[in-house]
Amino acid sequence: MTGYIVKRLISAVPVLLGISVIVFLIMAMIPGDPATAILGSYATPENVEKLNRDLGLDKPLVQRYFIWLGNMLQGDFGRSFSLNRAVLDEVLERFNATLLLAGTSFVICSILGVAAGVVSAARQYGLADKAITFAVLLGISIPSFFLGMMMILIFAVNLRWFPVSGMWPIYGARDLSALISHLTLPAIALAVVATGVIARLSRSAMLEVLRQDFIRTARAKGVHERSVIWRHGLRAAMVSIIPVLGIQAGFVLSGAVYIEMVFQWPGVGRMLVDAILKRDILLVQGGVVFVAACYVLFNIAVDVAQSLLDPRIKA
Amino acid sequence: MSFLRLLSRNRLALAGLIVMSVVVLLALLTPILPLPDPDVTNTAERFKKPFSERALLGTDHLGRDLASRLMWGTRLSLAVGFAAAVAAATIGAAIGVIAGFYGGRVDNVIMRGVDMLMGFPYILLALAIVAALGPGLLNALIAVAAVNIPFFARNIRGVTVGIAHKEFVDAARLCGMSNARIIITEVVPNVVPVIVIAMSTTIGWMILETAGLSFLGLGSQPPQADLGSMLGEARSALITNPHTSVVPGAMILVIVMAINLLGDGVRDALDPRLKSGALSRPMPTTMVRRTDPVPQPEGDGILSLRNLQTQFHVKDRIYKAVGGVDLSVRPGECLGIIGESGSGKSVTALSIMGLVASPPGVITGGAVHYKGEDLIGAPYETLRHLRGDRVAYIFQDPLATLHPLYTVGAQLIEAIQSHHRTSTSEARARAIELLKSVRIPNAEARVDNYPHEMSGGMRQRVGIAMALANDPEVIIADEPTTALDVTVQAQILALLDDLRRERGLAIIFITHDFGVVAQLCDRVAVMYAGRIVEEGPTDAILNAPAHPYTARLMACVPELGQGRRQLAAIPGLPPVVDKLPAGCAFADRCPKAASACRSGDIDLGPFGPARKIRCIDPEIPVQEATA
Amino acid sequence: MSAALKLTDLSKTFPVGKRLFGAPKAGVKAVQPLSLTVEQGETLGIVGESGCGKSTLARMLVGLLPPTTGQIEIDGAPLDNADPATFGQKIQYVFQDPISSLNPRKTIRQIMDAPLRHLHGMDAKARTARIAEIFAAVNLREEFLDRYPHEFSGGQAQRIGIARALAADARILILDEPVSALDVSVQAQVLNLLADLKQKFGLTYIFISHDLAVVEAVSDRVAVLYFGSVVEVGPADQVFAAPRHPYTRLLADSAPVVGRALAAPEAKETELPDPLNPPEGCAFRARCPRATEVCAGAVPSLEVQSDSVSAACFHPLADTD
Repeated sequence: MTGYIVKRLISAVPVLLGISVIVFLIMAMIPGDPATAILGSYATPENVEKLNRDLGLDKPLVQRYFIWLGNMLQGDFGRSFSLNRAVLDEVLERFNATLLLAGTSFVICSILGVAAGVVSAARQYGLADKAITFAVLLGISIPSFFLGMMMILIFAVNLRWFPVSGMWPIYGARDLSALISHLTLPAIALAVVATGVIARLSRSAMLEVLRQDFIRTARAKGVHERSVIWRHGLRAAMVSIIPVLGIQAGFVLSGAVYIEMVFQWPGVGRMLVDAILKRDILLVQGGVVFVAACYVLFNIAVDVAQSLLDPRIKA
Repeated sequence: MSFLRLLSRNRLALAGLIVMSVVVLLALLTPILPLPDPDVTNTAERFKKPFSERALLGTDHLGRDLASRLMWGTRLSLAVGFAAAVAAATIGAAIGVIAGFYGGRVDNVIMRGVDMLMGFPYILLALAIVAALGPGLLNALIAVAAVNIPFFARNIRGVTVGIAHKEFVDAARLCGMSNARIIITEVVPNVVPVIVIAMSTTIGWMILETAGLSFLGLGSQPPQADLGSMLGEARSALITNPHTSVVPGAMILVIVMAINLLGDGVRDALDPRLKSGALSRPMPTTMVRRTDPVPQPEGDGILSLRNLQTQFHVKDRIYKAVGGVDLSVRPGECLGIIGESGSGKSVTALSIMGLVASPPGVITGGAVHYKGEDLIGAPYETLRHLRGDRVAYIFQDPLATLHPLYTVGAQLIEAIQSHHRTSTSEARARAIELLKSVRIPNAEARVDNYPHEMSGGMRQRVGIAMALANDPEVIIADEPTTALDVTVQAQILALLDDLRRERGLAIIFITHDFGVVAQLCDRVAVMYAGRIVEEGPTDAILNAPAHPYTARLMACVPELGQGRRQLAAIPGLPPVVDKLPAGCAFADRCPKAASACRSGDIDLGPFGPARKIRCIDPEIPVQEATA
Repeated sequence: MSAALKLTDLSKTFPVGKRLFGAPKAGVKAVQPLSLTVEQGETLGIVGESGCGKSTLARMLVGLLPPTTGQIEIDGAPLDNADPATFGQKIQYVFQDPISSLNPRKTIRQIMDAPLRHLHGMDAKARTARIAEIFAAVNLREEFLDRYPHEFSGGQAQRIGIARALAADARILILDEPVSALDVSVQAQVLNLLADLKQKFGLTYIFISHDLAVVEAVSDRVAVLYFGSVVEVGPADQVFAAPRHPYTRLLADSAPVVGRALAAPEAKETELPDPLNPPEGCAFRARCPRATEVCAGAVPSLEVQSDSVSAACFHPLADTD
């Protein structure tokens, strides 16, 4: 097992390098130079040239990439000019908030989605199946930012059950209950779409599995139907559900950008959007690379989970 | 066209189609509709409520007419979402087809690149692209299309790999076609439905994503607005004037929902498996709908079938797979059922314990008596207690019939514990014992193997061990050696024969091979088109077949040791069981058929002391029946 | 009679554990170097169980798979590394699964057109005439031409597959399990058709199957494959009637025959060796009742035993065994 994890970690190195190249190249495509963006359009040519030299922008592209990569590996992601702060510090702080939001949502959507999918498949064409199918359809059709706004309107403004926005109360204690009450609405709004997708795919994966010959064998053995569904069916279906969960984690992380905007959640998504609008390239670059790297590591964890579940994957 | 007919049959998809048609029509007509200019601001008229004078849906924070902005915004959102979907599908499909068709290094390099792009949460890539190109609707479109290319590429590649390994692609090569021509004429036409499905199910998603980027202020720039930027602008007035948010948000919801409904309908209409109803989940027991009175038990058989009828109801067609079968097996006896594919022999076997997949299978008549108790229509719990305990099955393909993710030990233990309260360690010891009894070498180690770690012969031994787990009285073996090589088949048949003699098992053995029947079975029933045409002691029937079908079928089979020769063939094909002729089903292929053969039902009548036959003109005189 | 097809040291090794760049980690020898000759107008049967390399051999013969070593000669001319199109005019293939060998999205006419157009460059009129001729030969009605493959039964589809192979006008047909997907009553129809066609057009067949009785019924000579090697080759009526190689004997004894009592022909419950880890010496020795130390030391080569029967065995069976 350890061997498999080490092997997967090693195989992630080229992926991480590839990601850094892609990000670097996209950022290198930016028309106009960052120096002008930093100094404003009234900067003198001498100042622009000096800053370009300071930033190493006068060097060839390949050399610049390796300098940037080398710095990054030493933990130096550069400095954000708009925040006047080290990029890594800012990203780390923001990423904690995003992780809390996205992680909570991911747990909600995985459990609810898979459960709904299994129930829906087990009761195919029954009332529960129809209700779930309709709810799922609604869930995957509603824009998460619109859903978030409507939830604020109903549950925060009208019913006053939850705070309108933010992660902490402006005044008052920063305790767990405050955090939970702030987290509830955005986490649910974020989970809805992914729950729908996961439920849908779990349902079809289950239907696919339940038609297999080994299910008939289980029934011929006299295994109880509950066990046929949950033990034989779900176990086999999980093999195709787990990769979907891995992909959905990426969607939850992506959706967090919108939800952070709607709920004023101090996460990395909002930071990125602000940075783009301010053309704070180093902050965008650093944020994207950092989050993408975390996602790659998460996917390795998914693969490991998959290999634990499926003995046919050679460790 | 059948596609449109299928689509229209799906009521939800039809609703989606109608809504989408209305929306698209309105979007197309927007420029000529008498709407106020969507971009003219009039701060005096700001935040007018819906249904107010001169503003059907009210006005926004700059006093612009919401109805007009909604129409123009819808137009823009639809166009951008559709364009992004087409671009992503075309480029992604092209990449996927090339990677999947050529395989090898080309595939490896392309797919590593795709994996790398999928290594990003999609929005990071989109944000990076927008950051590089600058905010704007066209750039948002490019970003959304670009991040979706890998999804299409991966999806289409998978399908293409499957098609590129099909035999018709090899055949095209042998016909002298070039790779480019094979891709265009052989591969692409088979991939197109998948592309259409993928596109129709993701186009709603693309609209959501472009709206999202606009919502963040990275898409369409003021004063031009799509639905997403309308929502974005309305956000600051969410609490005071919610209608400015609700109007565009509800529109996105309606559009995306209609597209998703339509997309699902397109998918269902194009997916051949859904057409045949094959994607429905089989129920725990076969459906029973008996109208005629249930036959009473008779005879001394431990298991006897009386006038069993099983049908498949697919759409408006009824396939009479089993059309009234009478059979009986005594303890210690081996009964063979022989027939060609489609003769109903497997369905007969599965009907006994209610294991015919349902839907579409329905048992419509007859009875199955186990020790005098009717199993057809018995409550689920009764059947469950008998399944695997008193009546056990062995199936054909042991790789597909064993659960791939549990060790064979775990599956054996489960078989035991489903019927007996025993500790897991006891059950495990019993499992090892069972593996030994089916002559699996090194059973103590093999018990922890997964099915994929065993050879076909070993897996089928596990299948047999599982059937023996609870010392059943009857074993129903459904072509248990068909998937095996001949040397392994010989081993398995010898094993089954020994086991039945040791344990006094009753076996119902389904096969298409006369040689196997001859070696293993005491009695044999020959099935054709869902019915038994001849039944009796194996030796008597094989030495002197009385039904013309049996005689001719045996003549078709070459037998080892007779050298090179011309084979007898039966002209024509077996009838399709949804359109059975009146009278004898074999009449159309029978050289002796007379008008009496086609006029009415022919009974399975006695033929000599021990045999039965469904024929009015047997091949041999009845005196020779015992030969 | 001259040799229609001559194989010299033909072998195939599949790489295992592929890497993106560089050599693979290991190889599986699907077909060991083998040499065979097929005479003009002859039917050579090839029998073997799953994993014996018979399909790999067939795919090499028609150029769908490049051989690792050795060469193929047709009518005395070598055919090395040529593209399938050149192969296609000389040697054609009939597939095991008749339905999946026909593109579901093409009409039968389009399928029949392909070899005529791409191999022989015929115009539309010539094609129509030729298709009519071929369809008459395989007893198919011309009204089938505008239908799609899913409308046909397995037996009809296999006739269409045979018609397509005939359209290429090749003299040699590789029949890869052509009837094993068909029911026995239909199987006999197709086998008889193949025999007629062979006579009518003077064809040469290589008939690959796992079914001994079928192979015996249609072949002039039979080669028995085990673990990628030919272990015995000889006239069809002798190979199974009086096997020389113990494996051939095992095969013949395993085939269920009406009127023969059931007995496991093998005392040991053994199966095929692991191709990733092939045994030293004779691949059959672990299952062989006659195996001795010699068998572990060297691989036996194919040698003439008697009456034009050759077997690769150190201890071949005699008539009296």
